[in-house]
Amino acid sequence: MKEFGTILRFELKHYLKNKVFIGSTVFIMLLIAVVMFFPRISALFKTSDASADVSVMLVKVDDAVQADMVRETFSASFANYDVQITDEEVSKIKDKITSGDAECAVVMTGPASFTYYVDNLSMYDMNTKIVTGVLQHIYQMNAMIKGGMSVEEITDIMSIQIKSNVESLGKDQMQNFFYTYIMIFALYMVILLYGQMVATNVATEKSSRAMELLITSAKPTSMMFGKVIASCIAGFIQIVAIFGSAFVFYNVNKSHWEDNMIIESIFNIPLELLVYMLVFFVLGFLIYAFMYGAIGSTVSKLEDINTAVMPITFLFIFAFIVVIFSMSSSDVDNTLMTVCSYIPFTSSMAMFTRICMSTVPLYEVAISIIILIGATVGIGVLSAKIYRVGVLMYGTTPNLKNIFKAVWKA
Amino acid sequence: MRLELRNIVKSFGEKKVLTGVSFEAESGEAFGLLGRNGAGKTTSIRILMDVFPANSGEILIDGQPIDYDKIGIGYLPEERGLYPKKIIIDQLTYFAELKEMSRKAAVQSIDYWLERLDMTEYRNKRLDTLSKGNQQKIQLITALAHDPDIIILDEPFSGLDPINAMLLKDVVKEQIAEGKIVLFSSHQMNYIEEFCDSIAILNNGVVSLHGNLYNIKRDYPRDRLVVRTEAPDAIVSDFGSSCTVMESGDLMIRLADASEKKAAMTRLVEHYDIDEVKVFEPSLNDIFVEYAGDAVKEG
Repeated sequence: MKEFGTILRFELKHYLKNKVFIGSTVFIMLLIAVVMFFPRISALFKTSDASADVSVMLVKVDDAVQADMVRETFSASFANYDVQITDEEVSKIKDKITSGDAECAVVMTGPASFTYYVDNLSMYDMNTKIVTGVLQHIYQMNAMIKGGMSVEEITDIMSIQIKSNVESLGKDQMQNFFYTYIMIFALYMVILLYGQMVATNVATEKSSRAMELLITSAKPTSMMFGKVIASCIAGFIQIVAIFGSAFVFYNVNKSHWEDNMIIESIFNIPLELLVYMLVFFVLGFLIYAFMYGAIGSTVSKLEDINTAVMPITFLFIFAFIVVIFSMSSSDVDNTLMTVCSYIPFTSSMAMFTRICMSTVPLYEVAISIIILIGATVGIGVLSAKIYRVGVLMYGTTPNLKNIFKAVWKA
Repeated sequence: MRLELRNIVKSFGEKKVLTGVSFEAESGEAFGLLGRNGAGKTTSIRILMDVFPANSGEILIDGQPIDYDKIGIGYLPEERGLYPKKIIIDQLTYFAELKEMSRKAAVQSIDYWLERLDMTEYRNKRLDTLSKGNQQKIQLITALAHDPDIIILDEPFSGLDPINAMLLKDVVKEQIAEGKIVLFSSHQMNYIEEFCDSIAILNNGVVSLHGNLYNIKRDYPRDRLVVRTEAPDAIVSDFGSSCTVMESGDLMIRLADASEKKAAMTRLVEHYDIDEVKVFEPSLNDIFVEYAGDAVKEG
């Protein structure tokens, strides 16, 4: 146990003193700070912008009688524009737009048709849609007035508000989507990143032959568990630093984020889900880190690492893709997901997603966690065995068959 | 203390590496484990260090099965290597702590050894900033810092300059004098000959020769004489075909039987101008070639 503690401390120091580790963590924290402070900063610039000119929208109506009503409705719909009624020739209107005197113009060519003139049509220009709506509105009003209804009656009818109320009896997928997504993505990034680090760490010891001494000084099980758990703690510290700083910066700027549903929902994860997240995160991390460590011990040269870990990486990416597709199809209880949520290599992501976005009976969750714990311990012990055999094999990169044969015979 | 390996058998899969290795080493003496590449030396050492278990056989300390919690082993592997990118004192402390030392005791002992090996100035440097020979001295500390009962040195002298080799010799002699068991594995026969009281030669997974080096040499048939002289020609013509000129210029006289030794020696001294005449004793190199070669009689 003392041996394990020594290894854990040494390996953890290896991560925490690593310049890349510190640098990347600080960089991401700064990035988050910038994002979180963005609304506050942009608000500062907006206030000074208030006195700027409002762009001009010209409206040409054939029926002069309606000019007042048209202007009123347009002004109401285009709050950002100074709406001016004009009766100039179309060519003159075009000139005004090209010269920059007006930004755009709506020229009515009939009671239900118009031409929209604008200098550069922006990708996000929604004006034609709004104008269509406004004109529809005017047309309907005119028709009703002609039919003999009073303006008040018409206003009542047109401005009827429908009240709606949604009550979700299971999980609110809309709200849960974002933090599930973030958690899955974080898990994906951390496992790939740290898995590679564990594999490289082991392979470095092997290629620098420090292994010759290590293997005679410590038990392979202590080595494996020490390394993997150290990387897990390091990963966890990094995640807590990143999400913690996000949480702090968010709270500092809370008043500026009030209207953002997505951000709001991310920071409102229920405690229960947070606990599940922790459990699946740690187990999912460990099971992959053990496999990466075992693979790392079988290569002799650092260059071979990337090809050697490929099968594990593919397995993991497969799990990720299944989960992400199921999430976006909003059917997280499909057969593939259900199966995946029991297979230990995929269950950390699959089961967590199902818990977040659907209603999973408690016993199913328990079974999945028990399988995952069992498999993690099993893979841990097996990986320590592979490690012991693998670190002393030099030369040819052994294939899976040889490794298991050697483990079996050892 | 007496270390004893009894009939160790080990195979990896189909491949039999050790088919019955037995030898003994006493504390206070150096023991040479010899053998050609692939003879099973490293496998024997790894079994001795409990890296993997033997298929059968025993490792005994004073007749009792070895207790790895009580017996400390220091190891200088043939494949040298530590963490190149880490600070020397940090990694040395780590290895000493893995050997059950407390941090304080570890640092204290390492500082002693850095001083002893003239390496104190490198204490807080990264390993890869050191020359190869100095890295080797650092590696030696990992084998000695935890004050082990058994010290296993695999090719300890390779890569060391004569001054460092001398330093290492002194250190090894100190350790032997302290009553440790020092196990040498080397292909540099001169060092083995200088240090080791006993040897075991491994060949194809068995010990083909084992015992006290002096006795081994004594047991060779004493039927050859080595003669150093200024005037060899007369002797060559006198003794005829039984006399050959060795590479060193000395003469080698092969006697028909060891019992003729006295008569031959008297004859040489009386009739010729002789600087030196002695019974030929094979060098360790000769013994090694004879017992570690392919055509070896099982022994």
